[in-house]
Amino acid sequence: MTAVHPARSIRKRGPDADPDVLRTDALIDALAARRPVGDEHDDPAVRLLQALTADVDQRLSSVSITPST
Amino acid sequence: MTNPYPFTMTTCGIVAGIMRNVTEGCVADAKTGVRLATRSDESDLRDLTSLAVQGDRTAIESLLGQLRPMVVRYCRARLGRVSGHYHIADDVAQEVCIAVLAALPRYRDMGRPFASFVFGIASHKVADALRSSVRSAVPTQDLPDGPDQGPGPEETVVRYIEAEHARALLSRLPDNQRELIILRVVSGLSAEETGNVLGMSPGAVRVAQHRALARLRQMADMESIA
Repeated sequence: MTAVHPARSIRKRGPDADPDVLRTDALIDALAARRPVGDEHDDPAVRLLQALTADVDQRLSSVSITPST
Repeated sequence: MTNPYPFTMTTCGIVAGIMRNVTEGCVADAKTGVRLATRSDESDLRDLTSLAVQGDRTAIESLLGQLRPMVVRYCRARLGRVSGHYHIADDVAQEVCIAVLAALPRYRDMGRPFASFVFGIASHKVADALRSSVRSAVPTQDLPDGPDQGPGPEETVVRYIEAEHARALLSRLPDNQRELIILRVVSGLSAEETGNVLGMSPGAVRVAQHRALARLRQMADMESIA
């Protein structure tokens, strides 16, 4: 049996099949769904994106119905 | 040619009637932040879009009800707060929804997700808002009638500072990476939908978002060291 270098396999399948890329995709799916992201909470990028999503998701006491003039 | 819609697009009151229902729904959805409330199954959305294009009023309300939370989040992430409020971003989101409503009769399904059509409009509206001087006009918020159920002042300030920090770092990313992260994370679009908005394949979106997140992480780490 011939061993295949992992990098060669990724080249063949395409860069989006890279396990790191797929892991990031799953992480971004979790952030988009506002799901807990497990042990990624120490990741500063994740923490900042969570803060941004929490900020834009917040309820307003009143939302305008028509654009301001 | 007869208008298939039971109302005139330029009749603000009727448009506002639809938008009012949509707005009330979206605020609750925005609070819960559940993905199912932000992005429906693509085939369902396609069916809904088809009915809406034919002038089905219920379908139009439902379609905008599903799309508006994503548009609001996108506009808020792109435009940020002015004087601590999201009035301008929410107004732009409203303009996007009205523009989508007005464009519906002319919409033709070319096989691309409807969300890419919506966010194409949203991207232009945000760019217009950034160019205009309307941001200097800041409406004041009404005083609440009852106790505020939202987060306290300390939590609000911390969240505000972190969100502003996130925006500052995002602004240092290349334009397409920033747009991609906002569409994927904040608006909740899939890799395919995001790719349709930005003219990329889903695979290219996954690779680019990986690089963008790595860059964001690197910038955040460097700031914490400095």
